[in-house]
Order: sequence, then C-alpha cells, then structure tokens
Amino acid sequence: MRLKVLNLTYHPSRSPQIIRDDVTKLDKLPRRVAAILDLRDDDDENGGVDGLISDISELAAWLVLAGVPHLTIYEHDGVVKLHISELVRYVSKNLRLYFGTDSIPTFAVRVPHTNATAYSHPALGTNVDLTISVLSRVDGKPTILELTKTMSELAANKELSIKDISVELVDEELVELVGPEPDLLICFGPSLDLQNFPPWHIRLTEIYWEPGNTDVNYAVFIAALQQYSQCEMKVGK
Amino acid sequence: MDGNRRFSKRNHMKLADGHSKGAEVLFEVLTTAYQLDISHVTVYAFSIENFNRPQDEVDTLFGLLRDKLAILADNETSFAQVNHVKIKIIGNRSYIPDDILSQLEEIERKTNKPDSHKVLNVCFPYTSRDDITEAMRKVVSSLVSSDLQRQDLNEDVLQHQMYMDPNTPQLDILIRTSGHTRLSDFMLWQCTANCDIEFVETLWPEFGFFQFFQILVKWGWSKTALAGWNTGRAKVYVYELPPAPPLVSVIGR
Repeated sequence: MRLKVLNLTYHPSRSPQIIRDDVTKLDKLPRRVAAILDLRDDDDENGGVDGLISDISELAAWLVLAGVPHLTIYEHDGVVKLHISELVRYVSKNLRLYFGTDSIPTFAVRVPHTNATAYSHPALGTNVDLTISVLSRVDGKPTILELTKTMSELAANKELSIKDISVELVDEELVELVGPEPDLLICFGPSLDLQNFPPWHIRLTEIYWEPGNTDVNYAVFIAALQQYSQCEMKVGK
Repeated sequence: MDGNRRFSKRNHMKLADGHSKGAEVLFEVLTTAYQLDISHVTVYAFSIENFNRPQDEVDTLFGLLRDKLAILADNETSFAQVNHVKIKIIGNRSYIPDDILSQLEEIERKTNKPDSHKVLNVCFPYTSRDDITEAMRKVVSSLVSSDLQRQDLNEDVLQHQMYMDPNTPQLDILIRTSGHTRLSDFMLWQCTANCDIEFVETLWPEFGFFQFFQILVKWGWSKTALAGWNTGRAKVYVYELPPAPPLVSVIGR
C-alpha cells in the first residue's frame, strides 16, 4: 500500500538524474542483481513474451543508471531464451529513450545454457556496461544432474577421483555453467515463490519482495536496493 | 533459529543463557507443531560456517545441543518418547567430535522405534551445499560402479541421497527469525519449489505460539483461497479432483 502511493506520486521513469540521485544515498550496491519474472497470459496487460521483454528492458535501464553491472533474469519456462534478438533490439530501444541516441550504453545478453552471447554493439568489443543473463528452470536442478553425470564419466575414465568432489569443485563448475550467485534477488510477484530458482545459487543472496505487488515497477526496485544497502554480511559469525 | 545472541545482548544475559532460552522456545514450538499433527520438523542448529565463531561458543553450543537432546530423549517419560518423536541428526558427521557423536547416535537409536511416526531433524553441522555435494558424490560412485544407470538418474534419485530420510515429505514452510532475508545455506534444494518462505522480524527466543500460529493460518489461506492467484494461471488439475460418478448412457453403450 505504502509503495502504491509512492509509485503514484513519485515515478521518476526516464529521468536518469533522479534515479542516480536515489542510488548515491546508499552505502553499498550489489554487484549482481537477479529478478524473478512471471510470464502472464497473452491477453493480460503487459502479458506474454512481449510483456516480459519490456519489463527486462526497464530493469536494464534502471540497473545501468544505478551502476550495477550484472542482471540475471529468471523466468521458469525460459520463453525469453527463444527471443534473444528481439530482447536486444527492445533493450536498445528503451535505453535510447533514457540516454538519447548518441550515448546508448553497451550491453550483452547471455544464455548460459546454450553458451550463446549477443552484443548490442558487436563492433565495440566485449567490454560492456551491463551483462544480462537469462536463466530458467533448466539452469537449476537439471544442471546439477548434468554435472553429476559429467563427473561420473570423468570418474569412470579415471580423470577425476571421487574423493576430489568437493563444495569448491562443484561451485567452480556451476559458476562456469550458470554464472555466479547473485547478491540481491528481487521477486516481482505478490508472494515469495522461488519457482525452482537454481538452488546452488541462492546461498547467501539477499531476497526482496513486496507482498501484494504484481508488476515490475521502480518503487519495488529502489526499495530492494535500499534494503540491500542496510544488510550486514556475517557468514556464520 | 536465529537471534539468540542478539537476544542475550539486548537483555544483558550471558550468551549461554540466550542459547538455552532459544532451546526452551524450540520445545514450545515443537509441542504446538506435533499437536497440530505436523509430522516433520527440521531445525538448523549449527552451520558448518559456525565453526568460524570463537571456540568457547562452539563448545557451548555443542554441549548445549547434546544436553537438550538428551533431556528430550532420555527416558520413557521424556518429550520425544511420549510424543513418539524420532530424532535424526542431519549433516556432515565427520565434523562432530567422537565423544559427542556417540552420544548423539545413542539418542537417535533410543528414539528410533516402530511407533515413532513423528520426526525431528536436527541439522548439525549442516550446510545445504555440503548436502548436495555429498549426494552428488554418492551418485557418482554408484554410476561408476554401475549400481545406477545413467538414464535412471533424476532429481528424486539425487534428493534421496541427501542427508534427510528419503521418506521425508516435501517442505511446506520455512521460517527464518530475526529479520534476515536470506537462506544462509539452509535446505536450498528443498525450499526453492512449492514452499512458503517466511522471514519474521522476531528474535528466536521471543518467537511464540501466536506468531507460529499466524504463519500456519497464512499458509493454509494461501493454499486454498489464493491458489493460482499469484501467477494468474489456474492451478486445478482434473486428475486431482475426486473421481466423477460412473458414466451411464440411455442407449446402453
């Protein structure tokens, strides 16, 4: 409710300076932000793949403005993975609305499962302002199973000893296959439902969601960054 | 069960007293849960990361855990035996000193009776990543020795190799007290699907019946009234409904 009022009265969409001002007040920022998005019916407002893509492009613009270099998108069914070229086009278009035609930030879209990467400005090399990784259900438990199978093949060929399978080794391999663990996970649904998010990758992640919220909006986004800036990290202590 | 230390600091108590107050609260919550017929309760007593704490606190926690579990399980009139609760230690046992381990195994043996139909899983010393890794290691060795065929490997097979008993039902509610909104390596595999995660502000020693009850009511509400509401997609499966009456046609075929 509080956020709904805030969202109505304060909606700095497409005002880069205001978003940056909101962020400079914070003590710290996450390096990697993940978001769980829901695919809605095609008939709904902001529904279907197009709705998802437009949500992702808004998030991408806010993250560039906040100065966060990595965005992970999780959508259970993985429909976005089939529309990467559209995604790149739409994110570019949206960034143009924020930054103007001459100074569009560079970004890359990665699909770790197929090991594919698409760049917004292929000519400018691989050094980008924002990396977007697109994940789905297959990057979670099924990838852990695949890794188990691969390890068993290596072990059968005597290339890996079973006693060398450790948390560090598994972590290294899964970071390679899926990417590093996000620092902050924002759930844009009304209740906290992790929808089979990769379990290995949510160990220490700060989780934020707003009860009752149903869409991707700036108020939830900035509230999540504010909570992250206040959290303390102890790891067991 | 997070917040024992902050509780003792806030109330100017000794650290050990804060931890024992936490243990008392655990008894209360367990009583409520078992009376409501919640058959499986799992508590995160000690993380592998907790070995980073000062040695004397680690010793206190180990001793406290052993003593409290002994009180729970010791004789015919103790809590676990009256309520038919089976106590199980979940976690990497290679970290537990031998003397404590043998006492804990004695407790497990004492409470493991044919009529123990309720379960208390005590995670000690546990992390979910360690759990997943150990399960992967067991699966890899049975794949190598051909006890298990590649095509038979699925998520359930891997999950059954984890520390928890294969008959443990799907996790419904995960509660974390004291206001942190992260999972801290607890039951990651189990809680990422079809599970309600509740982060509450209260410190564990102040967690009471009323709050527990609120969480249960909320869970019941979300399972019935709100089903399918959050994703916008209907979640009714025809095969889950009660069977329809037999089909009878007037023309006899």
